[in-house]
Amino acid sequence: MSLPILAVNELAMSFGTLEVFRSVSFSVARGETLGLFGKSGSGKTTIGKCIVGLERPTGGEIRVQGANILNMGKKEFRKLRPKIQIIFQHPETSLDPRMKAFENLIEPLKLHSGLKQDALLKWGEELAELTGLRPEHLARYPIQLSGGEIQRIVLARIMALSPDFIVADEPTSMLDVSVQAQILRLMQKLQRETGVSYLLISHDLEVLRKVCHRIAYLDNGTITSIENIKRDVKR
Amino acid sequence: MSLLEIKDLSVEFSARENTVKAVSHVFFKVREGETLGLIGESGSGKSVIGLALLRLLPANANVSGTVLFQGQDLFSLRPSELRKIRGKRISLMPQNPAGALNPVLKNRLQIEEVFEERGIDKKEGMKKSLRLMKKLLLRDPEKLCDLYPHQLSGGMRQRLIACMSLSFEPELMIADEPTKGLDPEAKEGAVELFTKIKNDYGKTMLLITHDLDLALEVCDRIAVMYAGEIVELDKASKVLNAPSHPYTKGLVRAQPRNGLVPLSGQSPSRISLPEGCFFHERCRYSNIECFRKHPEMKNHNGGWIRCHFQSLQ
Amino acid sequence: MDNVFTNRLRKKNFSLPEAYGSQFVKRVFQRKDMLFALAALLLFAGLSIFAPLLSPYDPNAIDLKNKNLNPSEEHLLGTDYLGRDLLSRILIGARTSLSIASGVVLISLFLGTATGCAAGYYGGFVDESISRVTDIFLSFPSVIFALTIMGALGAGVFNLMLALSIVHWAKYARMMRGQVLSIKKQEFVLSAITGGAGDFYIIRKHIVPNAIATLFVLATIDFGHVILSIATLSFLGIGLPADVPEWGAMLSAGKEFMRTAPYQTIFPGLAITFIVIIFSILGDGMRDILDPNHEGGEID
Repeated sequence: MSLPILAVNELAMSFGTLEVFRSVSFSVARGETLGLFGKSGSGKTTIGKCIVGLERPTGGEIRVQGANILNMGKKEFRKLRPKIQIIFQHPETSLDPRMKAFENLIEPLKLHSGLKQDALLKWGEELAELTGLRPEHLARYPIQLSGGEIQRIVLARIMALSPDFIVADEPTSMLDVSVQAQILRLMQKLQRETGVSYLLISHDLEVLRKVCHRIAYLDNGTITSIENIKRDVKR
Repeated sequence: MSLLEIKDLSVEFSARENTVKAVSHVFFKVREGETLGLIGESGSGKSVIGLALLRLLPANANVSGTVLFQGQDLFSLRPSELRKIRGKRISLMPQNPAGALNPVLKNRLQIEEVFEERGIDKKEGMKKSLRLMKKLLLRDPEKLCDLYPHQLSGGMRQRLIACMSLSFEPELMIADEPTKGLDPEAKEGAVELFTKIKNDYGKTMLLITHDLDLALEVCDRIAVMYAGEIVELDKASKVLNAPSHPYTKGLVRAQPRNGLVPLSGQSPSRISLPEGCFFHERCRYSNIECFRKHPEMKNHNGGWIRCHFQSLQ
Repeated sequence: MDNVFTNRLRKKNFSLPEAYGSQFVKRVFQRKDMLFALAALLLFAGLSIFAPLLSPYDPNAIDLKNKNLNPSEEHLLGTDYLGRDLLSRILIGARTSLSIASGVVLISLFLGTATGCAAGYYGGFVDESISRVTDIFLSFPSVIFALTIMGALGAGVFNLMLALSIVHWAKYARMMRGQVLSIKKQEFVLSAITGGAGDFYIIRKHIVPNAIATLFVLATIDFGHVILSIATLSFLGIGLPADVPEWGAMLSAGKEFMRTAPYQTIFPGLAITFIVIIFSILGDGMRDILDPNHEGGEID
């Protein structure tokens, strides 16, 4: 039995006297999608941000393949960081408006790989193809792209780092139904191909039921239950 | 009798060297007391129609066609005459309820302001508004008036705006994407709200939305827009429960509860639209005729549809 | 460009200006007032650069025989109380004003951007200390503050530049801090952090490029203010040494001869007014172009 990719134990967060959540625990296995359901304001976004290290929880532990990221040294965490990525809710602010789609896409590659422009170009195009983007999209500025196209670029950009775990914070709540279906199916395809795990945060239970292996319900600041969705693994 | 009749409406935006065809040759009627839904993906041109008929589009828009409101051609009215209609007889509920209220004014002032601008007695107007607010499922409206907009939830703000738009007793209400970005609870609230406006007040509404659930619950008839055209127009239950057009079929199937099946591909570029049917590249039924000839609107089982496939049957 | 229109709508909720590069230039060319102001500014700049070649006389040459002359063919704008040619002095004066103002704006822009960026990005103690300092600088009335500093330093081009920079930088710092605070919370910055980018990379690649446009608008409007401040201080006699031709100083010197030789005040006054108007038109125009809410209009 291998370790889960991610295990969250007794996570707690409060701002001053205001408690956002407490004793939140769950784990996610390789290649699994765990849904996190909660109403708006329930703190589910904060949980996601804690996992990728954008917020520091006030208590508990977050273990990535057994190692607790909360008491890691800076250097150690920096090595781990590319493996846990996040995709956000609002496409209109997810890309730097002053950089073309392509520059946005290859930014993490540039930071980590030290590759030359030619190699980056090639890799970027491969990633774009993987996420169903056409080359002409890459030459545009974010303002000229639709929400669905931007989420594809964000996914491509994240996949460049070959992550083990992706926090998807309502990635489709601002998209049209048909585009939502495209993006969620794309995420499933990427999971099949790379074995990446997702924490899919959403307030839409119908969506979660359709794509998740399990769903954790967040209510009143804590996880009240975790439901197993019986889905055939093949789809 | 139809309250609103739109004939051959086209809207183009000139941007740099290119012309973007936002809406092309749209025809529809909204009957008195009816709720017509305009559904379609973002960029399909549905919001543009709403803004076009109130002449609220930016200056680079090129509008052609006729819009008859109670037999009056809105496009040929003088600005002063148009102002008498805009906001009073036709009111537009804006898309973003958070942005439509001034964040530094208490709610009471916002409501009063509307009356002030229209030269209606404030006290009378307020009374009417409060009555309306009570009816539209807002508890304790007096207290609510003393709060600031940010202290209200998204759903509450939307109701407040609905009250403000209704207080003039407009003959036609246009609601632009009222549920976009709301959470499911607020969405249910919106369904309730619009059903109430429709049933209790008998308002004629043009509901622009891409929330298929809302459209099914509230609308009498639905027009489906794709790439600036209406591709299907029929009774709401027929369009969404037994769609005829391949695009509508795709939309319905993309809903999570109907299988989350994505439509392949993307909407065509509006600068250079494809030959033939605008949908043929993504259509699973398309045949040679679809590549060659742009389909016309045809009568089909009592509704209208723009597809060769139906005519071939 | 499938959905130009939805983008247009979306932009309304978009805090970042979208006009940049070619788009920006194009919009400038669509505005007649800005084109006019730009042309006028270029003219002024050209005149001031080539002032030594263009001015018909030595601006400091005293000719007491020809003092207080009205405009004539020999002296196009007349002469001052020492018989110095007004046209030459105004041309050289443009040079003084524009170069000092450029220096002040550049120094303030640099200082303000750096400190504001640090305050906004790092927050906490850094922010507290920097913000308190800017508050102190902003709490003095600017002319009196500048006067005091000039009093301590003494007149001179460099001192004037220094004094005005000390007075002006805090505005930039405060605006930059606000910009950074809103930009650093945007998702693309968060993604860069999770993507492994360091602080310096993020500031250089994402924060500054997205914040700087607003700062440029401020700088343009401020340029006019700085020119006015220079003139004010010189008018009061503590800006520049008496022999340096400067519009404010010329006004001051000419005011005694208002009745007999009004041109000595009218021409430098007009020059100040023109340049301030030019910059205020440019600043307004830039704000309009960079502000996404300022677009389009009704078709009525």
